[in-house]
Amino acid sequence: MKILVCISKVPDTTAKISFTDNNTAFNTSGVQFIMNPYDEWYALVRAVELTEDGKGETTVINVGPAANDAIIRKGLAIGADKAVRVDAEPKSTHQVAEEIANYAKDKGFDLILTGKETIDYNGSELGAMVAEMLDQPYVSYATHMEVEGTTASIKRDIEGGVELLEVDLPAVVSAAKGMAEQRIPNMRGIMMAKRKPLETVPASAGAEHVAVKSYELPAAKGSVNLIDAENMDELVRLLHEEAKVI
Amino acid sequence: MHTYVSTDHLRFLIHEYLKAPAQIENYEKFEGYDAEAFDMSIDAAEQIGNQHLYPAYRIMDQEKATCENGVVWTHPLLAEGLKAMTEGGWLSSTAPAEMGGSQMPLVLHNTASLIFMGANANIAAYAFLTVGAANLILAYGSDELKALYLPEMYSGRFQGTMALTEPQAGSSLTDITASATPIGDGQYKITGQKIYISGGDHASVDNVVHLMLARVDGAPAGTKGISLFVVPKHRPKGKTASEGWEPNDVITAGIYGKMGQKGYVAAHLMYGENENTIGYLVGEEHRGLSYMFSMMNEARIGTGIMATGCASGAYYASLKYAFERPQGRHPSQKDPNQPQIPIVEHADVRRMLLLQKAVVEGSQALLLEASLWEDIALNDSSDAAKQSHLMLELLTPIIKTFPSEYGTMAVMNGMQVLGGAGYCNDFPLEQYYRDIRVNAIYEGTTGIHGMDLMGRKILMGKGDVLKALSARMQADIEACAKTFPDEANALGASAVALAKTTTKLMGILQKDGPEAYLADASLYLEYFGLVVISWHWLRMANVASEKLANGGKLSKKFYESNILTMQYFIEYELPKTRGLHARLNSDKRVTLDASPELLV
Repeated sequence: MKILVCISKVPDTTAKISFTDNNTAFNTSGVQFIMNPYDEWYALVRAVELTEDGKGETTVINVGPAANDAIIRKGLAIGADKAVRVDAEPKSTHQVAEEIANYAKDKGFDLILTGKETIDYNGSELGAMVAEMLDQPYVSYATHMEVEGTTASIKRDIEGGVELLEVDLPAVVSAAKGMAEQRIPNMRGIMMAKRKPLETVPASAGAEHVAVKSYELPAAKGSVNLIDAENMDELVRLLHEEAKVI
Repeated sequence: MHTYVSTDHLRFLIHEYLKAPAQIENYEKFEGYDAEAFDMSIDAAEQIGNQHLYPAYRIMDQEKATCENGVVWTHPLLAEGLKAMTEGGWLSSTAPAEMGGSQMPLVLHNTASLIFMGANANIAAYAFLTVGAANLILAYGSDELKALYLPEMYSGRFQGTMALTEPQAGSSLTDITASATPIGDGQYKITGQKIYISGGDHASVDNVVHLMLARVDGAPAGTKGISLFVVPKHRPKGKTASEGWEPNDVITAGIYGKMGQKGYVAAHLMYGENENTIGYLVGEEHRGLSYMFSMMNEARIGTGIMATGCASGAYYASLKYAFERPQGRHPSQKDPNQPQIPIVEHADVRRMLLLQKAVVEGSQALLLEASLWEDIALNDSSDAAKQSHLMLELLTPIIKTFPSEYGTMAVMNGMQVLGGAGYCNDFPLEQYYRDIRVNAIYEGTTGIHGMDLMGRKILMGKGDVLKALSARMQADIEACAKTFPDEANALGASAVALAKTTTKLMGILQKDGPEAYLADASLYLEYFGLVVISWHWLRMANVASEKLANGGKLSKKFYESNILTMQYFIEYELPKTRGLHARLNSDKRVTLDASPELLV
């Protein structure tokens, strides 16, 4: 079985978010970047579980500059067999999807996995776009997946229960919490990652259709006013007169 | 804000301050350890710390280890934490590839150790002990001992310990009486008791392997008659592990009710109570202490790391509190209707926070440079490498005691930041305070290290090593003087004053003998430590300044914080050397001449 796992580079969850260039670009100064957790913890680890010990081959793919190689190497340290980086600055999900689809279309992957979303833009768009471009079925938000022959059995959480699905391969699946248990790279994996192939391919996507006009930060949160538990009258007054919720 | 350690600072030290990957890149043993491998390893260590060690820190203190009917029960989270460290390859990280190890440079291993010890020394210390014991077997054990024990230790199934202390022989190992009677084939009947044995027994592993000092029958008195043995709790039935293991008459009399580190047991062990304890000689008879001490640099760096980790955790706990706790107003604000301000707004609170940060990050710099020196010394035969080894030897007393003594003071200040809350167990400061204290006792007390520094280390090569360190410091001070003239002048003056003090004390040694010379060795050690840490801070700030001007991997705020911390240390801590200088240069010998009878 051949699996392609799409991995993104995202700011660490503790990064302070700000913008530059008249609020049209994310300020990366001093920001620590990590592999998108949904890509890493669920999509990649499940792919490795399905292909390790000679059962198949997992390839990780990233669209980005050479600075992303450290994130890609982490994917190899976790257990991917090889890696591909499409040498392009990611500007929109459509462009990234097109690069991935262009790479994958003639490689014979049985499965293409993504995280359910990236933790920076939370678009949940990539998997669907890649599936459409490759004319393959798409299942989102998978929390469990087994593969038997050319069929994947998938569970996903729905309101009040669990939905069971079967999908013919090849297919594109986005992974959510529950798909796998996070793996921390061990030293053997880290040192092995240096020896695994990381291929760089040129960009091939067409014209860009989406442009960012500007970003806005959410409004600052107000300060907390602690009211003594014995002073219910004051609490009621503030809720009525200042918060105006009663 | 970090939770228990700043990996930003560790990366700064590795990549920008020490340039460690470039310094070791030509050593064949460390092939593949480039900057990216360093970063990935630090990331992996941090993940283990965040997920498997730090969450267990408070729990292991509240649900402490117990001993029932000779069986030591530790918290189940210990086994989970050790499993994560083992699966991550950290128990065998520095071991040779042919033993299944990763041949990791010590500087990287110890960077990870600073993370592990910061997250939870009550787990990381067990791993540290096993690695130390395995290293002794690897260095001096027979092929048979290596084959029997190392795979089990590297896989985390066997715990390693260092069994040195006896009821009558603590700091004075000369007085060890545990005995070993030869019974042939490299085996000995062992009899005796060992006390305060860290990790000495616990049910989270299949076996405990004691690297034990004992005297072979008829051995000469003193340290020259001491031999080193592997004494397992369960011994092999045959020559190979596959033949199974049987009890070896090692009895746990109990564990100690310690002030801190309650998840990390210290056991009282009895050997040969039924005349059926077998020990296996490591190396040659009568050379045990030299074997043990060849590993002491590593062990003492390890103790410094444990103390620094604890102080680091305390710093970040108190820093978080200082930003969240509103209390009081600025002295100029007289209006009680104005809201209270976070306590970090008070200068005295910032002083206590800066003290902690300076001690923690200064210690980290000292520890990682020492680790790098060890890597260079063990893999290079150049004069520069020999010099690195001698520097490490000279500074080992500082490496062990500065983080332990000043780390304790740092945690005390962290507790003070929290006020009453710091004294209560709703917050972790009281635990950090209890946990760090033992580091000034582990691996030789501060007094022992003071005597080591003055009695051996500064005299090495007839003082040439000390002169080389002074020359290196002087060159660095001159290099930093353009950017930080005031601080460079202050450190330069302190270094000169220390040199003059050393010369005066040498005169006392010649004239009045070792008792007078060594009477205030602990104070000299403190003086030396303050100068050495100031030297690191000045160099770090110089790098930070250069990165601010030309760009670095970290944020502007990080570098500015680094420079601020240097200024704090030179302004607030280095001046303490003046008091020490006055005492050490005084002709009044109050403690030396004091009659014990007057201590009433």
